Amino acid sequence: MQIFKCVKTSTSIATAMTAGLLSTLVVAAIPPKSASLPKSVNGGEAEFRKEIQPLLKKYCYACHAGGVKSGSVAFDEIKSDPSLLENRKLFQRVLKNLRSGIMPPVGADQPSEAEKRTIEEWIKAHVYQIDPVNPDPGRVTVRRLNRVEYANTIHDLIGIDYDTRTEFPADDAGHGFDNIGDVLTLSPMLMEKYLDAAQSIVSKAVPTASKVIAETEILGASFQREGAQIASNKAANVPTGNAANFLALSYYEPATVSHALQIEHPGSYQLILDLSANERYVDNQVDYNRCRLVVKTDGQELLRKEFNREGGKRLHYEFDQKWQTGAHSLSFELQPLTPGVEQIRSLTLRINKVTVRGPLITKAADRASVKEGSAKTADYRVEPRNYRRFFPEPVPSAPAQRHIYAHKLIGDFARRAFRRPVDEKSVARLVALAEGVSAQPGQTFEGGIAQAMVAVLASPRFLFREEGIATAKNNQQSRRKINQKSGLSKNENHNHHNNQPYPLIDEYALASRLSYLLWSSMPDEELFRLAGQGQLRKNLTVQVQRMLSDRRSEALVQNFSGQWLQTRDIEKVPIDARAVLSREAAPIAFTPGSGDRNRRGPRIRFDDALRKDLRHEADSYFGYVVHEDRSVLELIDSNYTFLNARLAQYYGLNNSGVTGDEFRKVILPPDSPRGGMLTMASVLAVTSNPTRTSPVKRGLFILDNIMGAPAPPPPPDIPPLESAAVGLKNRKPTLREVLSAHRNKPECLSCHKRLDPPGLALENFNAMGLWREREFDQPIEPGGKLVTGESFTDIRGLKHILVTRHSTEFYRCLTEKLLTYALGRGLEDYDVEAVDQIVKRLEQDKGQFSSLLTGVIESVPFQKCRIVSVAEKTNSLKSTAPKSHLPDTKTRKRAAPLHKVNVAAKT
Amino acid sequence: MRDRYVERTNIAAQSRESFSRRHFLRGAGVCLALPALESLLPDKALAAVTGAGAKTGGLATTASGAPLRTAYVYFPNGAIQSNWWPTGTGLDYKLNSTLQPLESVREYVRVLGGLDHACAVGGVDGGGDHARANSVFLSGVRAKKSATDIHLGISIDQMMARQVGHLTRLPSLELTCDDTRKASACDSDYACAYQYNISWSSPTTPVTAEANPRLAFERLFGTGAPGERVANSRRRQLAQKSVLDFVLDDAQSMQQRLAANDKQKLDQYLTGVREIESRIQRSSQMGAAHDPNVETPEGIPSDQAEYVGIMFDLMVLAFQTDSTRIASFCLAHDGDNRSFSHIGIPEGHHDLSHHQGDPDRIAKVAKIDVWYVAQFAKFLTKLRDIKDVDGKSLLHNSMIVYGSGDADGNRHSHDNLPIVLAGGGGGTLSQSSYVNYKSTPACNLFLSLSDRMGIKNLERFGDSTGRIKI
Repeated sequence: MQIFKCVKTSTSIATAMTAGLLSTLVVAAIPPKSASLPKSVNGGEAEFRKEIQPLLKKYCYACHAGGVKSGSVAFDEIKSDPSLLENRKLFQRVLKNLRSGIMPPVGADQPSEAEKRTIEEWIKAHVYQIDPVNPDPGRVTVRRLNRVEYANTIHDLIGIDYDTRTEFPADDAGHGFDNIGDVLTLSPMLMEKYLDAAQSIVSKAVPTASKVIAETEILGASFQREGAQIASNKAANVPTGNAANFLALSYYEPATVSHALQIEHPGSYQLILDLSANERYVDNQVDYNRCRLVVKTDGQELLRKEFNREGGKRLHYEFDQKWQTGAHSLSFELQPLTPGVEQIRSLTLRINKVTVRGPLITKAADRASVKEGSAKTADYRVEPRNYRRFFPEPVPSAPAQRHIYAHKLIGDFARRAFRRPVDEKSVARLVALAEGVSAQPGQTFEGGIAQAMVAVLASPRFLFREEGIATAKNNQQSRRKINQKSGLSKNENHNHHNNQPYPLIDEYALASRLSYLLWSSMPDEELFRLAGQGQLRKNLTVQVQRMLSDRRSEALVQNFSGQWLQTRDIEKVPIDARAVLSREAAPIAFTPGSGDRNRRGPRIRFDDALRKDLRHEADSYFGYVVHEDRSVLELIDSNYTFLNARLAQYYGLNNSGVTGDEFRKVILPPDSPRGGMLTMASVLAVTSNPTRTSPVKRGLFILDNIMGAPAPPPPPDIPPLESAAVGLKNRKPTLREVLSAHRNKPECLSCHKRLDPPGLALENFNAMGLWREREFDQPIEPGGKLVTGESFTDIRGLKHILVTRHSTEFYRCLTEKLLTYALGRGLEDYDVEAVDQIVKRLEQDKGQFSSLLTGVIESVPFQKCRIVSVAEKTNSLKSTAPKSHLPDTKTRKRAAPLHKVNVAAKT
Repeated sequence: MRDRYVERTNIAAQSRESFSRRHFLRGAGVCLALPALESLLPDKALAAVTGAGAKTGGLATTASGAPLRTAYVYFPNGAIQSNWWPTGTGLDYKLNSTLQPLESVREYVRVLGGLDHACAVGGVDGGGDHARANSVFLSGVRAKKSATDIHLGISIDQMMARQVGHLTRLPSLELTCDDTRKASACDSDYACAYQYNISWSSPTTPVTAEANPRLAFERLFGTGAPGERVANSRRRQLAQKSVLDFVLDDAQSMQQRLAANDKQKLDQYLTGVREIESRIQRSSQMGAAHDPNVETPEGIPSDQAEYVGIMFDLMVLAFQTDSTRIASFCLAHDGDNRSFSHIGIPEGHHDLSHHQGDPDRIAKVAKIDVWYVAQFAKFLTKLRDIKDVDGKSLLHNSMIVYGSGDADGNRHSHDNLPIVLAGGGGGTLSQSSYVNYKSTPACNLFLSLSDRMGIKNLERFGDSTGRIKI
């Protein structure tokens, strides 16, 4: 197996070059020996003078030449030809602004579509130096599993759930996603946690003996209340929703619950109680109630204990019992101790579960006899749970057979964990590790295998996603397929062996790219099988379909759309409902105080349950577009959304007829402002401040995530806005007034005229996403005009404009986001070609989601990678060496801080 | 899971709730119930390890042979300037309203004016002051402006840990009360890593801080109930040992196959593995971590004061047991927008900090500033009330920087940063005073501290130009 990694080459070097260098050097920095030198690099300047400059003169020079230098851009200041082509930054802006219709500005003469295309094509071919026949696929920095992927992979690999959200620190994100190789760093602390996690996962999942003491778990919910007919949890006012395994007993009501258990074999048993003392949070108020719990078995008291409120504390008790064969009873009796004390926090004692272990082997003699397998003592031990999953066959007794068995078990596990074939040497090392552990006193064969599994889970090959490239044969075979799909040139023949700079990634790497894109998890057996046979690329369409219809594809919804639209944040975003609502005279939707014990009277709570519902709405909606293969334009505008009863009420859609907790697609009333992601309370809340809306954040959100034309960051010294309040002595200025004062400042105008109109269009929704007509008793004015000239009167109009007039920008934006997520890297200039191909497909297919997804999966950057020779690796090492990022010398009066300086001390 | 938006119990209610186990360290000074430190670290052994005996003390050691600690505490979004700076100067100064909570420990407090972080200034990099304020604070270098190509510099706490970390079980401790990450891109095209990490072990490796009190506690003292931890830690290290050889080898051979950027990732992996190896080695030399015999705190409290308080208590405990001598604590990252409903301020902190001169908003921000200082003051008080191995207080044998990388949150200025230096430095720090250093790099302060930590050969750090007198 060959594994080469792709190394950063031409672009970083080319970008780093300063204006003084000759253009021939730029050419030299292109991947060497490439048969695909951009055909017209040398013709670039000539073409510029002939084709491009006249267009710039015609449409741009009025503001960007002849001493006028709007936005610090002056096209006539480009003197020499080389500096023209190296001015990437400038032409990035040209391309972006031209495509988004921001330039030339509304009212100025507009270039024809053909003229636009001429400029676009010239930039792509000569500034970005994209070879359309064999475009650069770029390179992906080896990706560490983020904590979501880690948890999913462990689940699929071992079958247990490991709570990485608690145990691991949050992963840093880049470009809005938390799966970007470059920023997924690995600190020593995380390394330590990985080792601990490996150990604890394996010890939880993998049995280390072939027989163990039998254990029976009795879930709290299976206890029966004496004399009461009421459904058990309802009596204790426990929120329903997910079917609870536990049984909750209220501190305030006497109750006795019991369970009858059947003992098969006489002997010593261990009884383990798992309880917890819970409460419902109520601000500023404490509940002083107490209760007493009496636990009995067969009428005999085991435990008598009093409880205050314990703040969710987990309680754990163990008792030893001698039991004869037959029926035995276990009961819990709760006695309230404080009648008359105010009942504020719904205090409950929860019986989570009771575990019965036994019969125990207590005497040394018994232990010995069980160990020998002699019949002196009956052996009631059982095969541990999951034993067959990890040890499908009985452990052979002959050492040679054991060795072979160990080899097979470990080789198999490592292959799946590393998501690719494993070399013989590694397996041998792991087997040696396992046998070393097994040989220790008191250890078992299984224990040794388990420890080797720990090593596998701690290995960098598990934690990082290593990718290989396809062999010559595979590359040749699959080339035709890819080219047909992606619409690339069919007659190119320079990419058929792995000496080429842009080979296909191998099928195992492809399997992982697919599975982490669609499932945020490892490939399953079918993907492994196809990859092993070299058949995955041939069956891509079928496999993607299969993967999408698998439940695991929920990960794409949660992790991609949850981050793209930031709906993931809804569960934590700080919102102060009271403060938000106080800004409005009378909110229209009102939740009656069901279960709201707050003495301030009923109010709308922006609580956990609601936040979960809002998240659910967003996920269901995006999932619907994915699974029903709808047009992605419906993400912006539609006549439906997904609701349950609580959410319908929250949105004031009381007549929708939606009942219960289940979410379903609901057709909205014709005049409804909802429908589409922009007007979901989740999106509206995460783009707000805790007490008020933020039209700027919302405007930015639309530019960044819908139109794909992010505004530059604000200048470092933001001038104060006191003037907004001038002349409004008797009232607070509206946000619109504050913002328009802002726009009067020239340094703010160019961005805020883009940001504010879409942001203000959403002002009819407060920071909790509820509809409102007024704020501080001023009417809301949501109307406005986009910088591209289209006017609208409210959000309905804006959504309509976005889907009818700006669909291409939206396609491009969404494509860029999904491609970033799929590749785990930020997009570079040369990726424009891949993006354009996908956008073209989307336009042909009217935005169907499948054409986006297949477009991404079949794209060059997803299918291929850039490799380099050893010599170039050295080169690129140099190019990634620390560069100094000196601050503007004007702002500094002291010596420049070089990175080197502060590592002066000996280490 | 913690829910930041829920309104929180007020202070009065809390005191009545002190029976709650969550307040395990907050109540009647549970830290005080720890066994005397003498039994843990005999003076002689200490002197042998550090080569103490010189008049100034050895490496991270006071003249009297006790451990000398340094901690850095970051608070977000700057401070209202007019309420922060004292009146009067030198020894004869009067604490202003924001620093009032420090009055009771005033003898250990120095207010340092005129310290700057020039590398946090926008300049050619433009916007992104929060990302810069946060990342520059302890590193003193300019963050490379990129969403993915992270490049900063080692931070002063990690620089110190490199030098003195071998003296303790943990080279350093990093804590934070930022337990969530936002799903969107971060401040003005800067990688999120800059905005959330103040400690950096190399220009490309942020040291992720621990946000969960339970996990931080277990990292210090091991898992399980009191009494079980020593055995658990030992078991854990045995298990670790059994796989280290394999993974080390695996990482090295993988590194051979990879390209430059990927090698960097594997370097981080290898550094992590070696760190674990040396921890195992240190603990076989020093014995297992001392079990402080208090219950392990549960997860993240929903009450903000409780959360911050427990994290501070963990620092106290870490210093008291000499588990580490270097700590950093990010109370919240710069630009943090959490709401302070628990003190009657529902608005977001960041949102408010752009107060635009509105007196009402200024007053609210000042109240938040005071709240943070008050939590810090409680921490100092605890350190002051605990006796160290040499009979002096923990606070006497510590140097604690409290500050922000933003000066005026409204304008995003980075000069005249609000910085307080607390502690006695083992007797090496001057008396309580207010000194204006008139536009001096904050890194000069870091060098003055590292001198006191006994670190040699650190001539420059970040944008330092020398030392300051403290």
